[in-house]
Amino acid sequence: MKKISKKHESSFRDPSGYVFYDGDILRRRILPIYFKQYKALSETGFFKTLSRKGLLVSHTLTSENENEIIITPEEIPFITYPYEWGFEQYKQAALLTLKIQKYALTKGFWLKDASAYNVTMYQGKPIFIDSLSFDFYEEGTPWRAYKQFITHFFGPLVLSKYFGSDMIKMMQSHIDGIPLQLISSMLPSKTKLSPTLQSNIHLLARLEGKHNDDYKGETKVSKLSLKALNTILDSLYDYIIKLQFKDATEWGDYYSKTNYDAQSFEAKKKLIKEWVLPLKAKRIIDVGGNDGTFARALDSDAHLIVTDIDVNAVDQNFKKAQAQTEDNMLAFVSDVLQPSPAIGFNNTERESLIERLEKYAPDVTMALALIHHITLSGNVPFDKSASFFASFSEHLIIEFPKREDSWVGSLLIRKREFINHFDFYNESHFEEEYKQYFVLEKKEIIVGTSRLLYYFKKK
Amino acid sequence: MTFLYFDPGLGAMIAQGLVAIVAGIVLFSKNALFKIKSMLGLVKEDDYDGIDIDEADADEDEEDK
Repeated sequence: MKKISKKHESSFRDPSGYVFYDGDILRRRILPIYFKQYKALSETGFFKTLSRKGLLVSHTLTSENENEIIITPEEIPFITYPYEWGFEQYKQAALLTLKIQKYALTKGFWLKDASAYNVTMYQGKPIFIDSLSFDFYEEGTPWRAYKQFITHFFGPLVLSKYFGSDMIKMMQSHIDGIPLQLISSMLPSKTKLSPTLQSNIHLLARLEGKHNDDYKGETKVSKLSLKALNTILDSLYDYIIKLQFKDATEWGDYYSKTNYDAQSFEAKKKLIKEWVLPLKAKRIIDVGGNDGTFARALDSDAHLIVTDIDVNAVDQNFKKAQAQTEDNMLAFVSDVLQPSPAIGFNNTERESLIERLEKYAPDVTMALALIHHITLSGNVPFDKSASFFASFSEHLIIEFPKREDSWVGSLLIRKREFINHFDFYNESHFEEEYKQYFVLEKKEIIVGTSRLLYYFKKK
Repeated sequence: MTFLYFDPGLGAMIAQGLVAIVAGIVLFSKNALFKIKSMLGLVKEDDYDGIDIDEADADEDEEDK
């Protein structure tokens, strides 16, 4: 019987091999053109050292013949893309790439590409997931992936330093990295005085522009020593370590501005825990989960995804998870009103957030202090948000702030003369619409607040 | 043989010689400054690991298992 083998849509750029689905299992097929490299990397223990350090995804050899080598990488529960990372995640992914490149050079290899999609977030850290990105180092040759490193990593990070972390989202519209000329033209002119930015961005953009028309390949590329290459890597690493993004806030208390006193806050935590734990969930997502406070309060071993629109909240969650080695926590940036679309060739190269969530199939979805934003700031009717949650959730824990709640009050006031258009925002209409997709299992008022907590089960 | 499936950019290949010279000067002056600062006791601890991967560490991890 022929096995179902579907080539993964994101895996076509590199002729060395590709990723495919063998039934439900993701495997990697390596083609003869890459056999020599693969064998050298395996036999020298290169792969092993990096995966033992948690820097490269580990894999096992599944089969081998003269036409193909099949390897099976360790399963990663959820793939996030660069444009969904917080600044800190992006920064650490860049540092990881430089680290791996420098290590590879000590072993006679190097990275043949430096795409940001080689990296994803796993167990609280960035991890390199493309085992075929390595090649033999060629003495004297400049790094071919240098420009890619600048357009995929260095550029977006430097732009964030000057214009805030929203710059990272530019990666969504530029799947091959932000063009050099664009980075250079956006940066303030004072960056021309920085030797690192002048050389790695402005000079690079100028030279790229100058040699763009060399179709005959007549210009000679001079040699670059290994030492010189290492110096470039060291200086980029040094520079990136110190980078901060423009709108970064200090580690703060995210819940100091909410509508809760300490008692209600604890009551909410307790209630959620009581409802969620008996479900014995393996995968939980907290949509709009801020810095992960409520996901953490569950004290669960389940894989936890916490998304938020606020990069600072995501960064803090990420740092907290790292500090406390919470391997099950995955934080990333997402706007519920505009989840990441599918992008790339044929619109299938990178999956949309919804596609990935459907595959991930969380057992429990939490949406706390979110519905009033979706409904009143985003003008999304209840039946639309209900159908959105129903598309990927089995059990939904959702908080509904009533009209008496001060947050809701201020959102309504902002509607001014259109305030009557939002009369539908009430408890009974909310329930009615959500019951189209869900069965109402539990409902309780959060002590000391005008907020209700609901537990819905998908129909 | 290296097969490259994307354009490395001719300008970017040429630029690296110059980039490396600048990087060398930046790192040199930074190290000199670092030495002065550490003599004066002004050095702050960094939260991040250095660029170099410590293999010995990896072997120990293995022995632990």
